[in-house]
Amino acid sequence: MLKIVDFLRCLLGELMEYRSILGERGSMVGNDVAKDLRILELVDDILGRNRDEFLRELYLEPLSREEAAVFRLMVFQDLMINDVYRMVEGFVERIRESERLIQLKEEAYDQHKVGLHLDAALTYIDAVESFYNGLRAIGPRSEGLKQFLNYLEQVINSPYFRSMKERAREAKEARDRIIIKVRFVEDGVKVSKYNGDGEDLTALVERTFSIFKDGNGEEVKWIKSTGDMTHIHAAILEGAFRFYREEYEILRRFMEDFPTVIDEGVRSFAREVEFYLTYLRYMRRIMERGYTFSIPSFTRDGSMHVKGFYNLLLVKAGKAVVSNDIDTDGARRIFVITGMNSGGKTTFAISLGQLAYLSTLGLPVPAVEARLPFFTSIMTAFPTEEDPRESLSRLEHDVVRALNIIKRANDTTLVIANELFSTTTSDEGFQLSKLFLSELNNKRSYCLFITFIPKVASLKFTISLVAMPSPEDPEKPSYRIIPGPPPKEYMAVRIAAKHQLLYDDLRRVVK
Amino acid sequence: MIQFDLLRMGDSSKISIADDLRVDLELDKIIAVASNGDKLISETWSNMLLLRNSSEDVMRYRQEAVRDALANRDVINKMYSIARDTIERVKRDVFILLLRTDDPPAVARETSRGIRILLDGLEEMLTLLKSSPSFSSTAFREFVSSFTANINDQFISSARGVASIFDTSRENITFSVKIGSSNYLKDPVLLVPREGGSFLSRILSLGKEYTYKLDPRDEAGPRIVYDIKKWVLHRSATVLLRSFNDMMKFFEDLMRQLSFYVGVINMSDFFARIGLPQTYPEVNPGVFAFKDLHCLSLATSMSSKPIPSTLSINASDSFAILITGANRGGKTTFLKAIGQALLLARAGIFVPAESFTIPTPGAVYTHFLRGEDRALSYGKFEEEVKRFRGFANFLRRGDFVLMDESFSSTNPIEASVVAENVVSALVDSGVNVAYVTFLQDFIYNFTRRYGERAVLLVPERLKSGERTFRLVRGSLQPGYAMDLWVKLSNNPSKEQH
Repeated sequence: MLKIVDFLRCLLGELMEYRSILGERGSMVGNDVAKDLRILELVDDILGRNRDEFLRELYLEPLSREEAAVFRLMVFQDLMINDVYRMVEGFVERIRESERLIQLKEEAYDQHKVGLHLDAALTYIDAVESFYNGLRAIGPRSEGLKQFLNYLEQVINSPYFRSMKERAREAKEARDRIIIKVRFVEDGVKVSKYNGDGEDLTALVERTFSIFKDGNGEEVKWIKSTGDMTHIHAAILEGAFRFYREEYEILRRFMEDFPTVIDEGVRSFAREVEFYLTYLRYMRRIMERGYTFSIPSFTRDGSMHVKGFYNLLLVKAGKAVVSNDIDTDGARRIFVITGMNSGGKTTFAISLGQLAYLSTLGLPVPAVEARLPFFTSIMTAFPTEEDPRESLSRLEHDVVRALNIIKRANDTTLVIANELFSTTTSDEGFQLSKLFLSELNNKRSYCLFITFIPKVASLKFTISLVAMPSPEDPEKPSYRIIPGPPPKEYMAVRIAAKHQLLYDDLRRVVK
Repeated sequence: MIQFDLLRMGDSSKISIADDLRVDLELDKIIAVASNGDKLISETWSNMLLLRNSSEDVMRYRQEAVRDALANRDVINKMYSIARDTIERVKRDVFILLLRTDDPPAVARETSRGIRILLDGLEEMLTLLKSSPSFSSTAFREFVSSFTANINDQFISSARGVASIFDTSRENITFSVKIGSSNYLKDPVLLVPREGGSFLSRILSLGKEYTYKLDPRDEAGPRIVYDIKKWVLHRSATVLLRSFNDMMKFFEDLMRQLSFYVGVINMSDFFARIGLPQTYPEVNPGVFAFKDLHCLSLATSMSSKPIPSTLSINASDSFAILITGANRGGKTTFLKAIGQALLLARAGIFVPAESFTIPTPGAVYTHFLRGEDRALSYGKFEEEVKRFRGFANFLRRGDFVLMDESFSSTNPIEASVVAENVVSALVDSGVNVAYVTFLQDFIYNFTRRYGERAVLLVPERLKSGERTFRLVRGSLQPGYAMDLWVKLSNNPSKEQH
């Protein structure tokens, strides 16, 4: 409800300040994470055809405080009610329409200006009032929308808004009274007041040819190559205003007396709420294909339970999408993922990484259910191309990255490492992995560690996950990643056996 | 709207294998005689002959109209030429290309000019119908009564008046208009123009009218004015265009439908010229019979009467006519004569026979041997099977399938099995078959199994050995070869010879 300061401001005839529907802003995501987790592609998909830079930035700014994320998620909860969504969307569209009309005014002839201004006001007034009434009737629960509703109430009750509304109505009535007769002659246009004495030629044509009137025949269209607000239109309006002087004066004075149409706070809201609307539209596109989103909840006990999460980019690409789960009570936080090649390990890690990222923006996430810590930082270490100009080898590079990660990691960090330390012997790789993961474990960080070294999964403080083959065809992946020990049999061995290339086969053949 | 249906084409869909029929039954030769070079007649005839559907009622309706048209041939020809001339004048004088539907002023101008030409045509037609003797057939009587109910002198004169407003007033249009959102003009109402007015009234209107003169250097101005005219005129232009199109369509429909009857008149003349008999087919369930049936396409290429055929069979059940025997015996001609007559009969046209009776006006399908290459090949056989399968889905009880050496692209033993499978299935399903074939296994097995329902025809040979090119009932001589064998084997002298 109104705070005392706001109340005092009201008394002074001043509006309380608009508070952002976004809550607070976050800070820009790091380049590596954005690249490794394919965040830029994801944001492109979310934006769709919208190329608004302001919005793009918002989606690239994870929040640093859990409360800020919850503030936004609450707004989402309201907006996921269809009526609320439609109301907000309609409101934004009409505010934008009003803005467009005002913009048009800049270059319009005087005769049009008065009309554009009036319609900008009419559109705005109606938008604000119907949105306020509609939303209040539903009763939003989020702090964000409640705040804005209070703000709107003040706008509507302000003397400026009220008299603007009254005068706009009068001006429209005046304009509706105008009806003129226009005659095109060889060298120009003649305009006069229309007294209703003409005969409707179209009706006459229709009557005469009624026996030939075929209900659904061809429609003659008119495609204009010129605008609707040209000097010719202005001239016709000028003629009209000559014969309707009083009406014109009403229109002109309305524009003069109410130069500002749209309230600044309303304008900001319309711009900022697109953050929600755009994401909801994206969600709808994904949900149309049979997938679910859920509002994440943030755990405080270190546990993480994400059920049925999936990869948004694969859905978008129309590929077969398998969903997975991940679970921990918080005691062990290091997940080691092993298993067959192309078994969906990287997809699994990226999907969870994206999910965590979206949750830190205060956005609903692609999963059936998502309870997870609020990650204050997400870090990645994915394989990089060997760069000949760089002095470091890839192994050295891996070590540097690992150490940097350890330096910054804490108990609300999520680390996603893919095939780190894979350019050395498996024994050395195991040793490095052990060091790296032990450090993270000591810091109580969370980590998804994808590796071909099965021994890593035997570290006591880890949870071993394995990419399972398809039950129908053991040579094909199921893309399911489930808890369990690394596979005992290697795929490459199985294939060699099928082609009789194992020891015994060769022994029998080579005599 | 003027209602008429001189053809009763129904949904007018073509039979699925129309192109095959056309070639196999040499329909183009027949159509050429009927059309006498008129493209429209040719189109209509080809549509009528290849219709998927027909019925006894429709046949009779058309037969009645055909008789009527022959009796009133001058009126029919005159109606046809009025329709044709009117359409030609419109096409010559109206810039049809300008009827792009995004230019209302041009549409209004051109259609109103077109409408005035069409009104002349309607007036001429009205005069002809008023002074002509009355028709006797339902088809033409209904046309005349609907036409005169809709078109009268009063309509013609008021329509001319309205059309002339658009034709003559050019684009100096007058309209009322209101001001809507953004001060855009809205709700334009095109008004009937007032004639110039007296000098005095013009003086009085001074000051009551605001005038804006276009600057001669204003290049955009005229374009904008034209756009506004488009906007104001588009509704009237739509009505005019639809009316124009409907009137055109009336003439086009009438012309198309009449073209069938003009073709009938031409065909009747051809029959008379070479002395072909002319009979209207009968429908009689249980009978498939004809007397002196001529192959019409052969008649057109010979320009004389070919040798006719006669046949009468019990058709209380579906049947198969199997035609076999020496080449050049007129077998395929016989098949074509039947097919052509069936198509003419369904269309309601007379046929070149003394009499022609069919059990049903079923649809006709053909499956004729293709190409000159007689080499056996499974590729070709597969093609044949696919071609047959292609129309099999469409077959219905009472239809006719005409087969010319079907399945002969594989060896006769296995072809016989296929043929027997196919023909038995058709006949058992109520489809009638006429099949020119040399497949001995098939003929033997089929005729044995189907008895009366299998009719075997062979070329007639006189005792002298001379061919008559007629087909006559034949009979199998089972065991003939065996007998010969036995005979020969019992003659040791020959064997030892």
